[in-house]
Amino acid sequence: MKIILTLAWRNLWRNKRRSLITISSVLFAVLLAIVFYSMEQGSYGRMIDSMVKYSTGYIQIQDVFYEDEPSIDNSLLYDDELARLLDGFGNKIAYQVPRLQNFALVATEGQTRGSMVVGIDPEKEQKLNDLSDNLTEGELIKNEDSDILVAEGLAGILNVHTGDTLVLIGQGFQGATAAGKYRIKGIIDLKLPELNNNMIYMSLQAAQWFYMAEDRLTALIVMPENPKETDLLIEELNASIDQDWYRVLGWEEMLKDLLALMSFDMAGTMVMLFILYIVIAFGLFGTILTMIIERQREFAMLLSLGMKRGQLALMCFFETLFISFAGALAGIALAIPVVLWFYYNPIPLTGEMAEAMLDYGFEPIMPFAFDPYVFVSQARIVLIISVLIGLYPVYKMFRLNIMHAKQ
Amino acid sequence: MKIIRTEKLSKIYNHQSLPVKALNQVNLEFETGEFTAIVGPSGSGKTTFLNMIGGLDKPTEGQIFIGDTEITSLSDSKLIDFRLHNIGFVFQSYNLLPVLTAKENVSFIMLLQKTNPKEMDARAVELLKQVGLEDKMDVRPSKLSGGQQQRVAVARALASKPRFILADEPTANLDTQSAFNLLDIMLRLNKEENITLIFSTHDQRVIDRARRVITLVDGAVDSDEQFER
Ligand SMILES: Nc1ncnc2c1ncn2[C@@H]1O[C@H](COP(=O)(O)OP(=O)(O)OP(=O)(O)O)[C@@H](O)[C@H]1O
Ligand SMILES: [Mg+2]
Repeated sequence: MKIILTLAWRNLWRNKRRSLITISSVLFAVLLAIVFYSMEQGSYGRMIDSMVKYSTGYIQIQDVFYEDEPSIDNSLLYDDELARLLDGFGNKIAYQVPRLQNFALVATEGQTRGSMVVGIDPEKEQKLNDLSDNLTEGELIKNEDSDILVAEGLAGILNVHTGDTLVLIGQGFQGATAAGKYRIKGIIDLKLPELNNNMIYMSLQAAQWFYMAEDRLTALIVMPENPKETDLLIEELNASIDQDWYRVLGWEEMLKDLLALMSFDMAGTMVMLFILYIVIAFGLFGTILTMIIERQREFAMLLSLGMKRGQLALMCFFETLFISFAGALAGIALAIPVVLWFYYNPIPLTGEMAEAMLDYGFEPIMPFAFDPYVFVSQARIVLIISVLIGLYPVYKMFRLNIMHAKQ
Repeated sequence: MKIIRTEKLSKIYNHQSLPVKALNQVNLEFETGEFTAIVGPSGSGKTTFLNMIGGLDKPTEGQIFIGDTEITSLSDSKLIDFRLHNIGFVFQSYNLLPVLTAKENVSFIMLLQKTNPKEMDARAVELLKQVGLEDKMDVRPSKLSGGQQQRVAVARALASKPRFILADEPTANLDTQSAFNLLDIMLRLNKEENITLIFSTHDQRVIDRARRVITLVDGAVDSDEQFER
């Protein structure tokens, strides 16, 4: 066995130039694939991350009708029973973030506009989404506050500032009239235009009072201790919760439209990666093919001496693996600093691209993912390709005819 | 002791299109300790004959016994194993693995035989000494002359302790001096260690040293002479 590995290794260096060219072609393809993939995963991850963080959370518990008809009438009652049930999950649940939201009209002296008034528990919300990062004016609200936070876009439209008072008029739980005067305590920049032009935050207590919806929530966000076990937690929640009243939703379900859009977007990158790997495959195959043809007489000699076909095949297989592994490892080794560099120094975008990004509330940069998965996934593809190509010489060695090969 | 016996050994190439009778009903026997040259004009079937008794190719007709084993009926993998343990080969060219040193080339065959490492190393050194290459042990074939390469090949052929060694024109690519040198080594091994050698050749000087000369003409045995040397 050792001799077979030794032979394979030394054979690799017989035609140094050819091996190096093949190795470098694998290297560059792997490097490119990783960089592209990291870029793709970076924006994908950023999108999901910010959606999960700022809007949906990993898991939400809602009233069973809320998803189809999001109205305050379909809010859930956060009673002792639900609280106890969730307590029962112990530290599988990291924390909960309650929200109560509904549409309301917001009026100043001169203007009236629709808005989304969201009741939050500032302390708990903080864990999900640190609003203090977004604060551009004033202060954040506290639990017992009856003041509000207004999104920067909306504040601009209404031309209001910290300290001004807004009138909110809406519909409360089961047709009750909701109305009140609220002082602006702070202005926050929510980046995403849909949010930034519409959102008003108040404390949960204040919102429940405003909407006349005591102990009611439109959504209870549940953050799993380990986000990787989200699906498991959803299953367990579903098993114990009363499904006639409550519905447990995962982020994938809540974001399914966005995910569909992104996977469509991913297809382009996938085609590109596919082409790259076809190039690797052909380069590698070409090298292996020439190697087999060139060394017919040597193989004949080895078979004549009494080397088993299996041993011969294994030797060729290892040669293929060595070449592709050398290329893949070197590619990964080179990709790590490249990706790391872009991870810390993302490419700034300019022009239309940048504006589009800004519109979506993202920094106008190209984020890169620095996740082991990015590297592992590409290495795995190279491994699969080289194993498949390595099977060709294996097949050839089992079919080699000494008399033909000798000539 | 009889080690090789062929019975009505025939080989026809291109069976369908343009049949060439390379061997025609060859009946031959070889004894342990012989030093035999197979001679004959080009195309007379020397290589074909050696390939047959070496188990590298199958005859169209006839049987080959090596010891008690009839090798034409062995499966491909059994035959490979049989060659490994019973037959030594020295080819005209392409004998050695270019990526292994002289000593590694000699050890290689013992590795295939799963000889224990200590014995293997000592034997490789000993054999390379016998062929006069003690100072070239760690040199790769590309740094050896043709004659030296053939001597390594002889050492390797001996390393597996085969019943006999086959050599198809082992001196064809060598200059006179190297050819004689190689021949001397082979003769000495034959005399001192009773190694059985069968080789094909065109070279009269080589033929003159053989103790048995079999002449093939058109795939058939034309003469079979013994000489006291
Ligand atoms: N693979 C083959 N296919 C077809 N015909 C072959 C093949 N190998 C050998 N022959 C033919 O068989 C006959 C015997 O060939 P062989 O190589 O055994 O002769 P040889 O005595 O070794 O000749 P040389 O002295 O030139 O090496 C020749 O007519 C040759 O053309
Ligand atoms: Mg010949």
